[in-house]
Amino acid sequence: MFACLLVPDFSVQASLFSEPRDAREILRRSPVTILDGPSNLPKVIALNDAARSVGIEVGMTKLQVETCGGVLLRKRSLDHEDAAQAALLECADAFSPRVESTCPGIVILDLAGTEKLFGSPETTACKIKVSARQIGLHVRIAIAANPDTAMYAARGFNGITVISPGDEARGLAPLDVGLLPATPELLEVLDGWGIQTFKSLAALPAIALTERLGQQGLELQKLAQGRTSRPLKPVEPTPDFVGEHEFDDPVETLESLAFVLNRVLQEICDRLIAQSFATNELRLTLDLEVRQIHDGKEGEQYKHNWKLPVPTQDRNMLFTLLRLDLERNTFSAPIKKLTIEAVPIKPRLAQGNLFAPPSPETEKLEITLARIRGVVGTLDAEGINCVGSPKTLDTHKPDAFAVQPFSSATENRNRPVLVPALALRVFRPALETSVELTGEAPHLVRLWRKHRRVLAASGPWCSSGNWWNETTAWAREEWDIALKTFEGIGYYRIYLDRIRKRWFVEGVFD
Amino acid sequence: MSTLSLRTQIETRFPSAFSTYRRSDRATILTGISEVDALTGGIPMHSMTEVCGMGKTSVLISLLAHASHEHYCALVDAKDAFDPVAAEAAGADLSRLLWVRCGKTRQKLRPLEQAFKVTDMLLQSSGFGLIVVDLTDIAEKVVHNVPASSWFRFSRVVENLPAALVFIAQKPHATSCAGMVLRLSAEPATFSGKLLTNFNLNADVLRTREKKEVQSARPGFFIKAQWA
Repeated sequence: MFACLLVPDFSVQASLFSEPRDAREILRRSPVTILDGPSNLPKVIALNDAARSVGIEVGMTKLQVETCGGVLLRKRSLDHEDAAQAALLECADAFSPRVESTCPGIVILDLAGTEKLFGSPETTACKIKVSARQIGLHVRIAIAANPDTAMYAARGFNGITVISPGDEARGLAPLDVGLLPATPELLEVLDGWGIQTFKSLAALPAIALTERLGQQGLELQKLAQGRTSRPLKPVEPTPDFVGEHEFDDPVETLESLAFVLNRVLQEICDRLIAQSFATNELRLTLDLEVRQIHDGKEGEQYKHNWKLPVPTQDRNMLFTLLRLDLERNTFSAPIKKLTIEAVPIKPRLAQGNLFAPPSPETEKLEITLARIRGVVGTLDAEGINCVGSPKTLDTHKPDAFAVQPFSSATENRNRPVLVPALALRVFRPALETSVELTGEAPHLVRLWRKHRRVLAASGPWCSSGNWWNETTAWAREEWDIALKTFEGIGYYRIYLDRIRKRWFVEGVFD
Repeated sequence: MSTLSLRTQIETRFPSAFSTYRRSDRATILTGISEVDALTGGIPMHSMTEVCGMGKTSVLISLLAHASHEHYCALVDAKDAFDPVAAEAAGADLSRLLWVRCGKTRQKLRPLEQAFKVTDMLLQSSGFGLIVVDLTDIAEKVVHNVPASSWFRFSRVVENLPAALVFIAQKPHATSCAGMVLRLSAEPATFSGKLLTNFNLNADVLRTREKKEVQSARPGFFIKAQWA
């Protein structure tokens, strides 16, 4: 069975929703109209029974309403309507876990299996009505075997209506066809046929109706007969995966922090698992206790985000990641509050590939990478990652590369033709040197604090780039040279920076 | 107490006490240099290999180019000397390479200590088919002072992993802990006119588990420059 809760004159009730209880009851009996539209010509869009009784109708202008006298005029407030709808949903939530927010002022709830808790449908409806009145909403309630029948019954009948299963057509029979979701043209046609009620529409022959009005006519007839069936679309509660802890005494040691951190993470992971979620992003905020607060500054905070390549529910892994980061940091003040937020996403559903090479386990790999960063650091002086996958850049500038996060979920590329090639060991940064030239070619090169004679030289190989930008422009003249060293003959690459007019050793061939 | 009962008691507590130690099957990763592969049969998995001498970086790049299409690889670069451009030109799949650049930030540990610690971590985190540790630019006497227990530990750990551990250094240091020691040496390079074209190399296998005697690939082989 399904129950429909309908708030008649929803905009009016919503506008009174924020009033104190006593004032609300008084206002409910007074004529109230809700105006909306352009500021220079607002019109009535909703009104209560008291306003109807004094002759006000929907569509009247503000001026027309004011002539009636003693009518409370209110501007439509979407915030109030949202608040009223949320309150209505909350009320329905107390009676069923499956609640649909059908439209503003209407919610439908699934009562299946609630008989033992709340009794018969009539008793349940009474309890819902009392509960709604306590929060300040006067509702109509209809209970039927399908959601649409319950909704039309609630729209058409005041108070509580219960339609037994199999009795839908008879229950809806007296309702006006104007309640159906038909176009004005269609309603005009029905009116021309003399069809005024659900009963008369339900009695029409289906084939003849379809021939004249098409599928839409048939759908309307099914609604009038109460024979429709559709699944309920329950409102999904917005998941909240935030955990926080405020320390009685600010903590200074990692052990004290880690203890609470572990507990908070456990709670978050339990919630994630309970709602079949995982997380791939974790946000940590630590509020530090700053003794002197200047200029209204709220105090210091430490914030850090972790983005994981795959979603996880593994508390141990998340805890290790957080702990490794905290171990690397020192804080200027004790920590007074800890907040962790996990961004929920659907868990990973992936099947291993039998033909793919064995790869590092993603969860384990993240911890390993975090540990490695703890040993070698995160970024070098130029802001390039110290740990990751190398990536060449789209430039002709030598030794231009980036280091991107390493992931074990890479696709196998086509195997190119592999030809062993001479490799250069790069000196980073390049070693500045002095070179003596004979003609154009290098003759003596200073390396490792000694001048060394050039045995052979290949060059000059000139290249340049970014000439349009003074700050990033580069131009160089490369030489591959053979030098006599202690260990024998060494092969080096040297270059002249033509912008700075200085010589450098770029690397050694090895 | 009879010998049999004594043996039974010991085996109850230590099941593998009297069993024969069997080394893992010999799987290898080819270096892509036919002469070296013909000489060594490839870099052995489940084992620690040392590559030293002149030409080792070219062998390393070629090895990474081959291995990265079949395995996830890790390169622990003690002195940040790896050239990604050369590796990509050689055909390496860089997306499958984890590059750890040691000594780039101010850390408590020195580059060699960082490299060893990172290697330990990578061995613990299984999944990498090839782990290369480049110690070339670390002073020889510093590497020489690494205690034998460290090499021994690496050797024993990698035996149980489907991975090859390769150390690149100026000279061999791991002694008997290394499953294979490959020494390369260079002869004068070929300058063709104004162009450095060939790097003439020789390879000697100083040690393997199976064959103790020194084997050489002489006359040598050459590696061409990319532009040659």
